[in-house]
Amino acid sequence: MTDNVTLMVGLPGQGMHLHLDALSLLFLCILAPQVLASAVAGMRFSVTFWVFVFGMVLALAAGDAFTLIFGFELMSAASWLLVLRGDQRPATLYITIAIFSSACLIPAVFLPASSIAFVLIALGTGAKAGLAPLHSWLPKAHPAPPAGVSALMSGGMVKIALYVLIRYAFIVLTGAAQPWWGVVLIVAGIASVVIGALRAMLETEMKTMLACSTVEHVGLIAVGLGIALRAKAMGDPALTAVALQAALLCAVAHGLFKPLLFLGAGEVKHATGTTSLNWLGGLMRGQPRLGALMLLGAAGMAALPLGPGFAPEFLLLHAVIAAAATGGILARIGFTFALAALGLGAALALGAAVRLIGIGFLGRPRSLHAASAEDARRGPLFGMGLLAVLMLPVALVPGQVLAAMMPVVTLLAPQAEIHLLSYTPLPLILLAFLIATATGFILHRWGVRGTREAAPWNGGFGRAPVWLPFGDPTTQPSATGFAEPVTRAIARGILGKHGTDPAETYLVAPLQRLHLRGVRLAERIRRATIRQRLGVVFAALVMFLLALGLAEGG
Amino acid sequence: MLFLLRLIATLLHAAAVFAVAPLLMGAVNKFRAWALGRRGPPFLQPYYELYKHLRKTTLVPETATELFAIWPVAAFLATATAALLVPGFYTGMLTAPTSDFITLIGLLALARAATMLGGLETGFGFGGAAAGREVLFSLFAEAALLVVLLSFVLLAHSITVDGIAVAFATGHIGISVSLGFALAALLAVALTETGRIPTDNPAGHLELAMVHEALTLEYSGRFLLLLQYTAMLRLLLWMDLIGTIFFPFAMAQADSILTWPAGLVLWLIKLGIMAALLPLFEISTAKMRIFRVPEFLGAAMLLGILAGVFLFVAARIGS
Repeated sequence: MTDNVTLMVGLPGQGMHLHLDALSLLFLCILAPQVLASAVAGMRFSVTFWVFVFGMVLALAAGDAFTLIFGFELMSAASWLLVLRGDQRPATLYITIAIFSSACLIPAVFLPASSIAFVLIALGTGAKAGLAPLHSWLPKAHPAPPAGVSALMSGGMVKIALYVLIRYAFIVLTGAAQPWWGVVLIVAGIASVVIGALRAMLETEMKTMLACSTVEHVGLIAVGLGIALRAKAMGDPALTAVALQAALLCAVAHGLFKPLLFLGAGEVKHATGTTSLNWLGGLMRGQPRLGALMLLGAAGMAALPLGPGFAPEFLLLHAVIAAAATGGILARIGFTFALAALGLGAALALGAAVRLIGIGFLGRPRSLHAASAEDARRGPLFGMGLLAVLMLPVALVPGQVLAAMMPVVTLLAPQAEIHLLSYTPLPLILLAFLIATATGFILHRWGVRGTREAAPWNGGFGRAPVWLPFGDPTTQPSATGFAEPVTRAIARGILGKHGTDPAETYLVAPLQRLHLRGVRLAERIRRATIRQRLGVVFAALVMFLLALGLAEGG
Repeated sequence: MLFLLRLIATLLHAAAVFAVAPLLMGAVNKFRAWALGRRGPPFLQPYYELYKHLRKTTLVPETATELFAIWPVAAFLATATAALLVPGFYTGMLTAPTSDFITLIGLLALARAATMLGGLETGFGFGGAAAGREVLFSLFAEAALLVVLLSFVLLAHSITVDGIAVAFATGHIGISVSLGFALAALLAVALTETGRIPTDNPAGHLELAMVHEALTLEYSGRFLLLLQYTAMLRLLLWMDLIGTIFFPFAMAQADSILTWPAGLVLWLIKLGIMAALLPLFEISTAKMRIFRVPEFLGAAMLLGILAGVFLFVAARIGS
């Protein structure tokens, strides 16, 4: 599509140009179901929400740098207002990051194609997408607004940032592309995967945990993009295609299951008044439909086979293995470690998903609110159902979805060689179906049918008092307890003793200290007495005269 | 015609896998008893036990949700599907194109997730504690499996289990240090995944120390049958995997019927040898503390990485 639309507003004499190509269409397709679901879930009456959506659409449809930046900033500003309305504490950090991001992006889009432009783009979009080490704001800010906005921020807004990254790294700056650009993205992505997945395993607030998982998925996408960028610069068409497909499919899948999970978390909050896993439990009884949808979303988040998250993970692992099979020895060793880190991340993501469902929705209620939860309202359920239905093609026929995304891959890397996806869920389902039929027949023909209810063995604890109809909640493992082995074995090594994010310890905290010192200095200057001020002016005069005299005389 | 042969081979393989799995468990238990100087249960004991569970009433705990019945079925289906993907004694079965190693890892993860959720279902202590430990074990196991897979792909230029088996059986790979490391790493992962000593004790009776067994504490009747059968299939799957990759001698080809009997006999012999070696290893070591297991598996992961690095160095020197 080459047609440009020029609007009569914008820069004087220039206007704003709108232009749609395969890449922006793909991201519009990722965005549309989330917007619909969030709107149905109750956000449709908020003007700020629609401004937020308009900003994202404008950024995607932009045909020139000014429109792109305008849409991007509109998105940032509107989302800041939405965060501010939810919770004031993370809003300041959020707007700081947003300003940092635009301070990097605005010069970058007007620079000629060069490595400096790429670094600025990577910093600006990485800060907005939550790529390590600039991710520590994301688990604070994304859970703050109402669920519909959180869903769109996690599923949509980070994708817009990644869209800008893809557009610049693969299309605009392609003339100056260097292999190390890819390496930067891979390293940042791997760090995001490990830290995001680990924190998702440890957080007890449901929405914070989902936001940490978003950091992980952004990392996965970044690794795919990095491998593709490196392979494209080094001229490896097959690897470029696999890695790009992995990244784009991951973006599609994440854009479906993460909003679903966030909307579900919002409904849990509505029904029970809390999203802390330590106060939930047994929600599947009161909220069977919500629970079933959350189970689907969690299967996607954990990248389980037959779920929507597996095909991208599969492609990504194939890409890393292929990257480790060729090239210089150091790069190959690096990719081997990246593979181990991705395995660790995948297992952690599985643990986090099991924890979300197992602690939150199964077992016994840990509070009366959880015990008396009623099923989700119709609007959010409809929105989640819509996303779940759209997950089906990604889960069951990923090959066809990839085939539909072919124009995007050829747009980003014209020489890419695209091979068929070798993961085909349908034969696996057929096999499982045959086994299920045979087993069902045997159990039905020879087995004793029917079930009987019985009291479970409570592990030797005494009888619970009568005012606790579901037994003593302290006799079942909490979310913190479930994560305890992981905390003890590895989290203290990676996150430090108190479990704080390394980005927080090594980046945010020193910056805050610097800021504090600067403020103190400014305050001292402001409070200076008249004598001190005169002294400074006098000293400056003496210095100036001295310098002048030395220059004249010397 | 060829398709028909391959179909028959696939069905035969499926029948053999499903029939032999309990016998393998019986053999391991018998050999273990012999090694300890006891007489041991008969070889066919697992079949009797499965039949016993078939005839028992299934109890459902009051505190369980509607999904209580789903988890054993899901775990069983995922493991059984995975077991059909691993070529036991045939290469070139109909399932060969889908037998991608990463799919296999994914299916095992699916089975693990279902078992963990089953353990969390009733909301009493031991299931949840065991699920948390299972997550911990899986972290390094998954990482180790992926790096070991890298070495296989580098040597065999194929990522399907079937392709790796064919390449290792026909190609001149020779005995390399890398494969030794990979075998050690894979054995450590296999011992953990199947819940054997030194990471877990299948014959243990102390709930505090259980991992795999504690997840199934509340299941009975049909569901327990499925879970126990899943454990047997998992043991067979891992032995198959190790046998297929490291000892692919005289494996039958699905499209030439004359190789079938020899392949089947050799497969049974291979399984018999592994079933004898496993108890020997088990009685010569002690069970580890839970928090030693990450070190054990971390060492496996490092061995896997070393296997890859050795291959890179060899490729560098060779070229």
